[in-house]
Amino acid sequence: MPFAGNFSILLINLTVFPLLILMTLVGIIISPFAFLFFKLIGNLDRVKIIRYFVWIYGKGWLAIIKPFTGLTASGFRRGEIPTPCIIVLNHLSFFDTFFMGVLPFSNVCFALRSWPFKMAWYHPFMKLAQYLDVERLSWDETLTASKKILNDGGVLLLFPEAHRSRDGRMGRFYSGAFKISISTNYPIVPLCITGTGELLPPGRWYLKPAKVKIKALAPVYPDAFTGENGHIEMRKHVKALIADEVERMR
Amino acid sequence: MTDDEIIDTINRALVKEFELDKKKMLSDAHLFDTLELDSLDMVDMVIVLENAFKFKITEEKEIREIRTLGDIHNFVIKKSNEIRKGS
Repeated sequence: MPFAGNFSILLINLTVFPLLILMTLVGIIISPFAFLFFKLIGNLDRVKIIRYFVWIYGKGWLAIIKPFTGLTASGFRRGEIPTPCIIVLNHLSFFDTFFMGVLPFSNVCFALRSWPFKMAWYHPFMKLAQYLDVERLSWDETLTASKKILNDGGVLLLFPEAHRSRDGRMGRFYSGAFKISISTNYPIVPLCITGTGELLPPGRWYLKPAKVKIKALAPVYPDAFTGENGHIEMRKHVKALIADEVERMR
Repeated sequence: MTDDEIIDTINRALVKEFELDKKKMLSDAHLFDTLELDSLDMVDMVIVLENAFKFKITEEKEIREIRTLGDIHNFVIKKSNEIRKGS
């Protein structure tokens, strides 16, 4: 029914965007006080506190969007994902990162291209959380920073396609995540996401209700991929795992 | 191998390994801007070419100067000719 369709589109946009803006503003206002509280009471690490705030923000996003997406997530119970690890996921929408509130831990470092760092309202948090701008950093700098994050017990999250899909099909995978895995000996955890490309694909500025599913697959350990082709074979293997699962989830 | 066969082998190997669009495999295609390869891919490309042609590539300076698919074609054709003459 077109009327019902239009009504649901109107409803999602009139609900989600104002709530998201409100949550962002409240977050910006209270975060300095919350930061001081965590710092003074718990004497926690600055970077971990900010990553925790981002994780809470992701939880808030899930609460806002769940009625419009019927979000289902599997493989995210505590202990199901080993840490430290390198999470790689397919990329369909700007909001894919927001859905990482489903992760059972908060010490996550996003490795992203430069453009998200240009959003003034997120920039300070991204800098304080020491997210990696992989477009600006050299490979050696990326690898050094990744080793530090993982050795400190953190989780590194990358989009191996680098771009959001323009046609719903998975793009080519770049090798960086897999080289990091082999170089550090930490596993890759493949994550599959579907539905966010219908929710908000690149080039559209309004939301549409969509069924969103997220699934974490079993970790892939680097020791099975040896030799100078190891990272290439690992890349192909992980991509095939994600592609097969995404097909099943659709 | 003729030059055309070398070009075909290179293009097929790169399309397969880097999941490139066959339609973009033109001699003047820029590796970074058109084919969207990155600096890590350039390292992988050397491995791919070595496997495809069964020779070692040690010409680091020449590899660093490669910008287009045509540059790769010319590099491999030149290298293949040198090996042929040397054997």
